[in-house]
Amino acid sequence: MAKKTYDLLFKLLLIGDSGVGKTCVLFRFSDDAFNTTFISTIGIDFKIKTVELQGKKIKLQIWDTAGQERFHTITTSYYRGAMGIMLVYDITNAKSFENISKWLRNIDEHANEDVERMLLGNKCDMEDKRVVQKTKGEQIAREHGIRFFETSAKANINIEKAFLTLAEDILRKTPVKEPNSENVDISSGGGVTGWKSKCCS
Amino acid sequence: MEFAEESSPALAFEKDAFELTVEDVYDISYVIGRDLLKISSTGEEVSDLQFRIVRVLEMFEALVNKYNLSVEELKMERDNLKREVDRLVTERSSGPATQTAGPNQLLVDLTDPNRPRFTMQELKEVLQERNQLKAQLMVVQEELQLFKSGILPQAEPVMVDVDLDTPAATENSPPIVNDAKEERTTIGKLFSFRRK
Repeated sequence: MAKKTYDLLFKLLLIGDSGVGKTCVLFRFSDDAFNTTFISTIGIDFKIKTVELQGKKIKLQIWDTAGQERFHTITTSYYRGAMGIMLVYDITNAKSFENISKWLRNIDEHANEDVERMLLGNKCDMEDKRVVQKTKGEQIAREHGIRFFETSAKANINIEKAFLTLAEDILRKTPVKEPNSENVDISSGGGVTGWKSKCCS
Repeated sequence: MEFAEESSPALAFEKDAFELTVEDVYDISYVIGRDLLKISSTGEEVSDLQFRIVRVLEMFEALVNKYNLSVEELKMERDNLKREVDRLVTERSSGPATQTAGPNQLLVDLTDPNRPRFTMQELKEVLQERNQLKAQLMVVQEELQLFKSGILPQAEPVMVDVDLDTPAATENSPPIVNDAKEERTTIGKLFSFRRK
């Protein structure tokens, strides 16, 4: 394989109810664009974005899951490989907020124990249709000891900040060592081979 | 008139056995009874035969009666089933009927081109393959970018040589096969000549 263009690979995962804007959040971050037409994600998809943090080039492989229940068995099989999980709800959709506990349970059941979690209240540009107050989001995040942002993929609010913060949190937990081409694994599309934290050369 | 009156009961004898009614049986009995009366002899043998004939006609009456009733019952049953089928067909076409599916079952309309057809496992495999190819494409794009920018030296053309060798070899092989074929056919001709 050719010389690596990055020092670390972080695998992130987006989860949450169908239609809360997971794909739009990711599309804003990866392509800095927004599309109003709603196309339901089929099963699982991913995008790649390389960012630079503390002088390190970090490749983010961000898995985008389908929120629909019928894809549950497919999407949960991708939790294990994730180092960071973004749980997204829609501030104009009370049900999506109520389901947060269900999604957190999914994380407990299927993800690694030390996975970095983050809560996002998306569509915060739609203030006139808001049904979930910001304080409620902050409260539930505090209860579970996780970070919280209100975001808008459409108005580009807090999107980059959220991803960079999550990546920073993961980087902080990552043992410092010499960058080595053996410890980064991009070809794994199945999410089966997780990120190898041990240096092996 | 007399001829007509006499001929009409006798017509029952001409009928198809499975189309006989009880009335036909009575007609037949009438004709047979009338003919028996014509026999002038009054011996014991004749009267015994008369009783037996009456007995056979009674049995005949019972059989025809029973047969006709059975046919009638079957016809009614058939009509009932026909009505039931018609009802189900119209119910089905008038909307998505869910009453025949259990609580955890899904009715699939086989004429719907968008009906579910693939299993979760199949979808999983397709998605895995798609994502794997996507990841590989990104690696290739990245490497291409590096080559273009001159960061990486041009790769040794070993792989290319190998790739070119393969089609060249296959191009060479057909003429060899043709030669062998031609040789065989010539030999074949010789053999057949010698055999003659």
